[in-house]
Amino acid sequence: MNPHNELPNRFSDKVRAMPGGENLDACYACGTCVSKCMIQQKVEAEFNPRRLLKMVMLDKQTEAFQDPTTWMCSRCDLCYPACPQQIHISELIHSVKQLAVEAGYSSSLDVVNVDEGLCSGCGICVMACPYEAPSLFEKGVNGSTDRFAMVDGTRCMGCGICVAACPAGAIARDGVSNQEITSQIKTISSNSAPSLAIFVCDWCLRAESDLSILESYPDPVNVIHIPCSGRIDPQMALLALGRGYDGVLVCGCKPGECHYVRGTMIGSCKMEMLGRMNGQMDITGQPVRFVQIGTQERGRIREEIDAMLNSMPLRKES
Amino acid sequence: MKKNKVAFYWAGSCGGCEITITELGMNLIDFADQVEILFWPAILDFKYSDVKALQDQEIDICFFNGAICNQENEQLALLLRKKSNKLVAFGACSNNGGIPGLVNLCDAEAIIQRVYYTTPSLDETRGTRPQQITRVPEGEIEIPALCNRVRTLAQVVPVDYFMPGCPPVADQVWKVLQLVLAGDLPENSGVIGVDEKTTCDVCPRKKGNNDVRIKEFKRPHEVLMDPDVCFLVQGVICCGPVTRAGCGLPCLNANMPCRGCYGAPEGVVDQGAKLLSAIAAIIDTDNPDQINQILDSIVDPVGTFYRFSLADSILNELKYTRFNS
Repeated sequence: MNPHNELPNRFSDKVRAMPGGENLDACYACGTCVSKCMIQQKVEAEFNPRRLLKMVMLDKQTEAFQDPTTWMCSRCDLCYPACPQQIHISELIHSVKQLAVEAGYSSSLDVVNVDEGLCSGCGICVMACPYEAPSLFEKGVNGSTDRFAMVDGTRCMGCGICVAACPAGAIARDGVSNQEITSQIKTISSNSAPSLAIFVCDWCLRAESDLSILESYPDPVNVIHIPCSGRIDPQMALLALGRGYDGVLVCGCKPGECHYVRGTMIGSCKMEMLGRMNGQMDITGQPVRFVQIGTQERGRIREEIDAMLNSMPLRKES
Repeated sequence: MKKNKVAFYWAGSCGGCEITITELGMNLIDFADQVEILFWPAILDFKYSDVKALQDQEIDICFFNGAICNQENEQLALLLRKKSNKLVAFGACSNNGGIPGLVNLCDAEAIIQRVYYTTPSLDETRGTRPQQITRVPEGEIEIPALCNRVRTLAQVVPVDYFMPGCPPVADQVWKVLQLVLAGDLPENSGVIGVDEKTTCDVCPRKKGNNDVRIKEFKRPHEVLMDPDVCFLVQGVICCGPVTRAGCGLPCLNANMPCRGCYGAPEGVVDQGAKLLSAIAAIIDTDNPDQINQILDSIVDPVGTFYRFSLADSILNELKYTRFNS
């Protein structure tokens, strides 16, 4: 039975009938969720779950569908443990988004695209995506049936996890394509000071002061921003070492605080395994490291960078 | 008509690349009729002095299989490069190091120790150890010294064409030999005898969907594998996603995962690291403590991710350049 069949026409009732919607009326608009939200702090001042919930309660459908909150929530659920009413706010926002998609609205985010000329249809992106955005489909090519991935732009959050996972280099979005990231990895010629390539997730550093710490290090300590630590490709870490960096530090969010749900776990698996492989090859001194920085851990980024710089022996070209 | 002058050579290899040529059957007879074979130690009686006596670039095309494992391999690579107009890295070992490239996990002395002293089936009481120079009544005989590091052919001399595979399958070999006969080899150097895209593109197995993620990896002998379902979905590491298509899927058809012998596709600079990037993304856990446990189920990560490409990897390069301990 389709639960939508017997719905009354009121927008708020439609939301109430969606999964998690029953909690709508529990919200008393305290705004704790807003204070916890990284999007509100870092990207979009207009992002406001409290206001969105209020819009829904007041049946302001068009406003709700157009509100950036509907489209930008990545379901990290940082707000859930803080909510005194224990509402899964992200579930509610997701319900509003689903209704918006059904009504023909589309995401305002930069989403990934698949290049069918490169896609092999392996399905890795389908399994990797935290948001069930990619799926496989078949179509006839030159008389035979071929399999490709396609990405549902209304589900994609632009985290880039699939871009790193795609073995064929078939997935990209502006700013996080393989080329754009690898072109930022410099070639280090002289080793007068320890050099370090830092790949830092866009979300793990909460405070402005932490971001300015990153900028305070002179060359050859270089920072490359990635949307999520799940976007790191171990090839990039190896390329950086191959181009002369003494070390590679990848920074992501603390488990449970990842903006893209699974990203930090994926990043940690990659870097842990790369470290193990370095060990197998007798590459010593832990030249690749992964740190997970919690939202409360202000200043930790400096400690981690300094610890790494101090522990790295100067390496000479051989 | 002037006959093409061809040569075949085996360096550090198992001999499988030579076998694949004999697999051509009657086509090989046709081929041999239409070319002049100047050197092919596996099949015909030639001496190195015969090669040395050739004019420079007298060989039109030389198919060189095997990795560069010892001084003899290296000398022959240099000699055949000099005597050949076009040099083909033939097979996984000369392309990417192949199985011999896994030697780079240790060094020459460790290999000698293993082979001549600590292999369990060995009668080590005899203490036989090969010497580079041995005196016999007739004089001195010399065996080539083992290199400390296994290299690909292109790491030793410039290579014109790369033809991967362990071994390159007979169908692809025949296609390439026909190009040789017709004079239709591509003008620019590059990879030949392969298909576009990756093995997954041609693999008919049912792929994963968004409710499939991996909590434990299994090796092929630990699990009964469904022949119709993607190996990765079953938790068995398959190199198909990062391996060029063109082999005709003999391993997959025997219900074994792809091992990666056809090398990385265009755009992948390090086959093992790219495979890790793909595999890590399909691991399923919310619990950080479980990560190590899941990764522990990948026994021998270098041997798994870089089975055929270690000698050609950035990881390997780091070991021998700036990160040698």
